[in-house]
Amino acid sequence: MLRQTTRLAALLLASAAPFALAAQEAATETDEPAAEIVTPDETDAPDATEVEEEAATEEEATEAETEEDAPEEPADDEAGETDEGEEETEAQARAPAPQPEVGTDWPFYGGGPGATRYSPLDQITRENVAQLERAFVYHTEDLPEGTAEGKYSPEVTPLKVGDDLLMCSAMNILISVDAATGEENWRYDPGVPNDAIPYGASCRGVSLYTNPDAAEGDPCATRVIEGTLDAKLVAVDAETGAPCEDFGENGTVDLWQDIGERVPGWYAVTAPPTVVRGVVVTGAQVKDGQAEEAPSGVIRGFDAVTGELAWAWDLGAPEANRNGPPEGEVYTRGTPNMWTAGVADEELGYVYLPMGNSSVDYYGSNRSEAENEYATSLVALDATTGEEVWHFQTVRRDVWDYDLGSQASLVDWQGTPAVILPSKQGDIYILNRETGEPLTPVGELTGLPKGEIEPNYISDTQPISEWHTLRKEPLEPKDAWGFSPLDQLWCRIQFHRANYQGFYTPPSSDKPWIQYPGYNGGSDWGSVAVDTERGIIVANYNDIPNYNRLVPREEVEGVPIYEQGERGSGPEGAADPQIGAPYGISVNAGWRNGATGMPCVRPPFGGIRAIDLETGETLWDVPLGTARRNGPFGIPSFLPWKIGTPNNGGSVVTASGLIFIAAATDNLFRAIDIETGETLWSDVLPAGGQANPITYEVDGRQYVLVTAMGHHFMETPVGDEVIAYALPESD
Amino acid sequence: MSAHGFSASESHSRARPNWGVKVIGIICLLLGLVLLAGGVWLIVLGGTWYYALAGLGLAISGAMLIANNIMGVWVYALTWLGTMIWAWFEVGDDWWAQVPRMVAPTLLFIIVLLCLPALYRARSTPRPTL
Repeated sequence: MLRQTTRLAALLLASAAPFALAAQEAATETDEPAAEIVTPDETDAPDATEVEEEAATEEEATEAETEEDAPEEPADDEAGETDEGEEETEAQARAPAPQPEVGTDWPFYGGGPGATRYSPLDQITRENVAQLERAFVYHTEDLPEGTAEGKYSPEVTPLKVGDDLLMCSAMNILISVDAATGEENWRYDPGVPNDAIPYGASCRGVSLYTNPDAAEGDPCATRVIEGTLDAKLVAVDAETGAPCEDFGENGTVDLWQDIGERVPGWYAVTAPPTVVRGVVVTGAQVKDGQAEEAPSGVIRGFDAVTGELAWAWDLGAPEANRNGPPEGEVYTRGTPNMWTAGVADEELGYVYLPMGNSSVDYYGSNRSEAENEYATSLVALDATTGEEVWHFQTVRRDVWDYDLGSQASLVDWQGTPAVILPSKQGDIYILNRETGEPLTPVGELTGLPKGEIEPNYISDTQPISEWHTLRKEPLEPKDAWGFSPLDQLWCRIQFHRANYQGFYTPPSSDKPWIQYPGYNGGSDWGSVAVDTERGIIVANYNDIPNYNRLVPREEVEGVPIYEQGERGSGPEGAADPQIGAPYGISVNAGWRNGATGMPCVRPPFGGIRAIDLETGETLWDVPLGTARRNGPFGIPSFLPWKIGTPNNGGSVVTASGLIFIAAATDNLFRAIDIETGETLWSDVLPAGGQANPITYEVDGRQYVLVTAMGHHFMETPVGDEVIAYALPESD
Repeated sequence: MSAHGFSASESHSRARPNWGVKVIGIICLLLGLVLLAGGVWLIVLGGTWYYALAGLGLAISGAMLIANNIMGVWVYALTWLGTMIWAWFEVGDDWWAQVPRMVAPTLLFIIVLLCLPALYRARSTPRPTL
């Protein structure tokens, strides 16, 4: 039925455009179970463990989890010197370095070191924001060519340090631009080929590292570091763009090392690495849905100066592979990966890693115990040793592709150093940064349906945040939507034909099932912004179901990426093969009507809300995005009214009480009053604004900047613009 | 639903058949039958009866319009009224949710009402043929 829909769509629709639902980007990337660790019958055992753990609720969970991994214990000590971690490299010896603060500069992907996306700047105010005008528009000139057509989703957020903006383009060209004029200082093209594009060509950002041992003016004293789609770490001099000769081989470290056979597009870095205690920490996106025997989700730390491997955290063999796998072997294949951005506490020396699910997202019986333990968890590693400190799991036995996509944020919460973790299910958790213990109440759903596909694997309990969730009430038949009774009726028929038992309805194959929220629900890679002064979390979110079906092996048409001759030649809309599992997976992301391209459920499809950081209460909640670019058959309706579109990309909050955000599929960049949720100003972008904005200051003038580069999954127009706004010069 | 271009021909004063009304009638009949068929399917699946009933009303209205019967307009009016009441009952003042429920049926209602002059003329003009 799904397939019918898909075909119908192909026939009737030229291009189902604008009602773009969603962010798969975020959602899509995963990993898989490592073939080696797959023990056929782990089903029961792990279940028991997990249930116990979580049953013990909040704090217990973390502890129990940690225990399981016997080798490590919650290391609280600052330097992370556990007894066993001794054999680590010199990175360990590194002391915490002073971290640059956000304000005049935007030195980290998430603003300040804690990734709160909050800026103390206040020149642009609620009163004068309406006067904002474009200060400059810079073009990266990186636009899709050839086989890259239709695959661009740059999602780029620049850094600003000193006088410069530092960024990457969709295909990983590193660029420095004058932050006041938009003039290019330099660029360095690492030459990423089109066939390296995994799901989409994304480079969310870059990271900086200043070598404490280098004198000012030394080459690469401060370096820009990025991970590329063809899985390299690249370091160049922040001043000149020249590759750092001391880093790896002439500025490049090959991340395919010890991963296994090189299959372009299967293993790619799309997020900025996290630098902590002189160690560059990165995961990678492993393309979803291909095979259980997928590249490892290993997390690796490299010396920020030399590019040498400092440690590896292979969740399938954490001890054995800490310094890399033995000669001739590879990191445990198929393990959950981290495709999004981590965040680090330089003082503690910990790095917080939001892990995704295994690569075969929708079938779990073959997964190893270690996969079950760590999938869809926030993992804290001691970045000096690579040892796990704690982890906190948000989904037990994830068969919904609920990867953690949001970068976590570090705050002090009621006097405790804390980490804020939003999820795709919409739950917002606040955890103790040192121990992983929840500081806010974590509840327990019980008696959840187990389905018929793998009832022994599916967990009938799940944790939820009782402090705050962005999730809405379950769907009802009357939520079916369209532009006329006819297409609405079709959606309503589909509703009744599907399996739907509310939140966490398990996968099915005889009938489709409705997954709500879908994998692009809740908070994604745009994450949340936290106004630490006012005590407000600003969260934009999606509210979108998926309509899925497990496809029996014999019906699966798609071939895995390693068998595709030409990249991207897999049939559009065909099921992902999930080789190794008995089923492929067909996902109708956003549950769209095949005939019209419109969503099958009523709007809003996304919103933005303010949450009281003390109490978790909603202060206001409004739809985000107007209907101007959306309509049936992909025809823009030009309706100026707020409908609440799907949105991906986060916000920035300023001390003056403004929220800046693009994200929605209406291609508007807007300023919202943090007190009321009212939109005070907006500008039409030349392309989709699916990226996190930033704000900074040069010579006393505050700028707000966003990249408008479009997004294939969100079906917004592609562009190459970097647009800075400021108040008119007062002379 | 997006039928346009009927209104021009609808009221030719010549004593010819009302092609405009016929076309509108055919559209209503076809839409009604599709809605009826889908609506019956929905009932079988355990869903609401609304679509089948609305489809039935629309189909009857269409058949009458094709036959130049002014009752077709009133049958549609009744269907439309029922639709509005049902729509309000289901989702109230959630106006985005009302879009598929109210907009197209109302546009169609306006179009059907446009048939009235031609149908009145047809009634007052002795037409030996039928």
